[in-house]
Amino acid sequence: MEASATTRLHQEVEASIGRLSTVLGWGAGYDPLHMTPLFVRSPEDIARLVWNPLCVQNLTGYLVKSPGVQPPEEGKKIGICVRGCDSRSLVALIQEKLISRENLYIIGIPCRGTVDIRRLMNESGLSNIRSVRIEKDLLIVDDANGAHNLPLERFLARRCLRCRHPNPVIHDVLLDEPVTPRTTAEDAYRDVESLEAQSLDQRRAFWSVELDRCLRCYACRNACPLCICQNRCIAETRDPRWLTQRVNLPEKFLYHFIHALHLAGRCTECGECERVCPMEIPVTLIKEKLNQITRDLLHYEAGLDPEAVPPLLTFNPAEAGI
Amino acid sequence: MRIGVFVCQCGTNIAGTVDTEAVARKALEYADVVYATSYVYTCSEPGQQEIQRRIKEMDLQGVVVAACSPRMHEPTFRRAVERAGLNRYMFEMANIREHVSWISTDKEANTRKAMELVHMAVAKLRFNQPLFSSKVPINKRVLIIGAGVAGIQAALDCSDGGLDVVLVEKNPSIGGKMAQLDKTFPTIDCSSCILGPKMVDTAQKENITLYACSEVESVAGYVGNFKVQIRKKATYVDWNACTGCGECVQKCPSRKAPDTFNENLSNARAINIPFPQAIPKKATINRDYCLHFTRGKCGVCKKICPVRAIDYDMQDEIVTEEVGAIIVATGYDLFDHSVYGEYGGGRYPDVISGLQYERILSASGPFGGHIKRPSDGSEPKDIVFIACVGSRDASVGRPYCSGICCMYIAKQAILTKDHLPDSNCYVFYMDIRSPGKNYDEFVRRAQEEYGVQYIRGRVGKVYPRGDRLVVQGADTLLGIQVEVEADLVVLATGVEASSGAAELAEKLRISYDQYGFYMESHPKLRPVETNTAGVYLAGACQGPKDIPASVAQGSAAAAKIQALFARDVIETDPQVALVNERTCVGCLKCIMVCPFGAIQSKTLRDGSIKAEVLASVCQGCGLCNATCPPKAIQLQHATDNQILAELNTLCA
Repeated sequence: MEASATTRLHQEVEASIGRLSTVLGWGAGYDPLHMTPLFVRSPEDIARLVWNPLCVQNLTGYLVKSPGVQPPEEGKKIGICVRGCDSRSLVALIQEKLISRENLYIIGIPCRGTVDIRRLMNESGLSNIRSVRIEKDLLIVDDANGAHNLPLERFLARRCLRCRHPNPVIHDVLLDEPVTPRTTAEDAYRDVESLEAQSLDQRRAFWSVELDRCLRCYACRNACPLCICQNRCIAETRDPRWLTQRVNLPEKFLYHFIHALHLAGRCTECGECERVCPMEIPVTLIKEKLNQITRDLLHYEAGLDPEAVPPLLTFNPAEAGI
Repeated sequence: MRIGVFVCQCGTNIAGTVDTEAVARKALEYADVVYATSYVYTCSEPGQQEIQRRIKEMDLQGVVVAACSPRMHEPTFRRAVERAGLNRYMFEMANIREHVSWISTDKEANTRKAMELVHMAVAKLRFNQPLFSSKVPINKRVLIIGAGVAGIQAALDCSDGGLDVVLVEKNPSIGGKMAQLDKTFPTIDCSSCILGPKMVDTAQKENITLYACSEVESVAGYVGNFKVQIRKKATYVDWNACTGCGECVQKCPSRKAPDTFNENLSNARAINIPFPQAIPKKATINRDYCLHFTRGKCGVCKKICPVRAIDYDMQDEIVTEEVGAIIVATGYDLFDHSVYGEYGGGRYPDVISGLQYERILSASGPFGGHIKRPSDGSEPKDIVFIACVGSRDASVGRPYCSGICCMYIAKQAILTKDHLPDSNCYVFYMDIRSPGKNYDEFVRRAQEEYGVQYIRGRVGKVYPRGDRLVVQGADTLLGIQVEVEADLVVLATGVEASSGAAELAEKLRISYDQYGFYMESHPKLRPVETNTAGVYLAGACQGPKDIPASVAQGSAAAAKIQALFARDVIETDPQVALVNERTCVGCLKCIMVCPFGAIQSKTLRDGSIKAEVLASVCQGCGLCNATCPPKAIQLQHATDNQILAELNTLCA
């Protein structure tokens, strides 16, 4: 089905590229396991676009962060391929007026999940993987030894296992039939809940071990489409001096909690921070906790309604739940 | 920086439970502190001179005073360091009285905490910068919200002082609750006879612009320069044309509209002038009862109006007024006694509120001043007054004393005896609160000269027996249960904040207490000011008040404004937000959260977008700073670095 989706993607972009100055999508990377963001600017590049479960990057950050896409030419729009999670980032960026809906041509892709590539690479018995596709509950991996039918659940990224919005919440065109969400809203925070079931000491120990591995490489921040401060990030400025460059646990804690708090009520749980972490720290969990609080206290879920105002980006003395 | 630390003993207020000498000695160890001492009364004249002398002698660049709350004496000490040549913001105060010596007797712990607070103040001071205020001109016009007796008094006093006044009243006529009263205690003079001339004056003053039937829609700006939007509600009568002749009222076929001026004891027409002395004396159509609006036909008033003032298509209109100061005089509402099931929950027509009885007593009231029962129009013989209905009763959320009820029932009982000498009046009371001038004498007169029977105790139940009512209560002085059969029961309904008080407070950015009464800046020393500069309070909106107190506060608010307007310019507070353009990423979340509309965006020459604070509009609340992800927007005198310095000191 991915092959047909890729074909449909090609057809769709061919039909619309005349009206678009750039199309953001995914293309083949340096090996068959790695797809890479692809900026399509001319018709001959369309054939390079792909869609498969290895298309893991959230592309929406390129709309607001450098190096990113140039503003659209006069009378044209920017095309962008979005999965369900990416579409929520778009909504958040539109809400915050960081991008304008009118400038976008949104190619929506109902998504059945993306692969945790590191887990797949660690799977023994696979060598020289050629392609990966999803069929029902199976991940079909073609490698040097032929096709392997692997249980999908084992290789999906954590963000995809807890996905409630696999279908783009905004789009101009939808490439496929909508798919059924993998999780209900009630189950969405089970990872947070199971962590919270532990004692305070256990949790402190958990985070101490996890966050102590942090390198302060800021990949999590850089991959986040909503973290737009870039080189003005207070993790690196001296004025105001919230953080020093000292390498110790308190500074790492503080960095991650500032990062999470800046996303409170905004984070759409696309999971990019966790995906890109070279140390495999489950950093999205912190944001999930804040989102759980936002849901319970303010009855708000980020990135669904472009007209809604995120609860922490307004001043309303009559706010319910406070 | 060369810092001097002055630890105040405040007599024994601080020194009693804090070792101030030790605090001063310890301060000498802190970075940049070159001088530290302890002094008996630092705020006194010699204390201030000592600070100034040391600034000069020791070449101090910053001063810390550890004393009382900065709300008490920060301005005092700022002026003191300024006199010695320092910028007033090169001063910090550590509160070791309210936060330390007054709350614990553990001298050792107190001393330790005082040391830490002083250390934090020193740490912050090291990051302080001189700040300078700018001057903006004052618009010498006053907005007064509410035209009851307090608002009217304030308007007249401001007007007499030569100020332009904008007076906004939500009802069709000014006069407020006082216009509804029959007589006033303790002199029994006629309420409308003493209020009427003031109302007429208000209408005739050329420098008073009256908006009746209007409400404040929004308030922007700051002291000296407020911009106020006023919603003129559609009355469906062109008030410029209407002469108040009342022909339309007489001919209106819709006769079932509620007569709110008479507390719904009678009915009004759908087109109505609330009372004969109304100011402005103009007709208003009640849309819910007008046949033109409810059935789409009628038009009698339009046909007969001699000046063609009726306009069924009228819409609400928004007008904008610019003023320099605001007086809030929105008054009170009467407690809704229907929550008391034991008094009938509003079901018995002859159990009425104090204000309803006031209307019954009034010659302009529903019964022409003859005391009659609402149920059958008969003359009552036995009348029971029940005090504290909706006052001093935590079970209905009104634990406070309304202050006026004891007096008005005494007055009403006296008037009842005047009207009906053969009647019997009973008053069930908890305590008698009559602390005003000639007030207690007045209550004694009711008891002694007029023979009103005062029974100390609460009423447990009122229930009907035949066409009369039985009042069951306790006489706690005799220790017995009593039962009085009455023809009429008057409840001394208490005072509560006027409906919509909270919404107006949000618009004005003033605070209110849990009952909705507006908070004065200081309960004793600043009873007229609010904590929002340029906004003042008058009358019962601040708490239950009688007429003399309301009038006094109206005059006081007017005097405050005269003092404010005695200057031509006003100094702005430099403790506002400021954008560091180098780090601003132009996400403009600050604009989204600013409650005051004080931030706008601007585009630099390189095309980048930055936030910009309008310093004169900013109130320094800090929401933008909390929201700004790269912390490019900083609140002056409470910058992140200053706060972090304090925290790092405390946590070090």
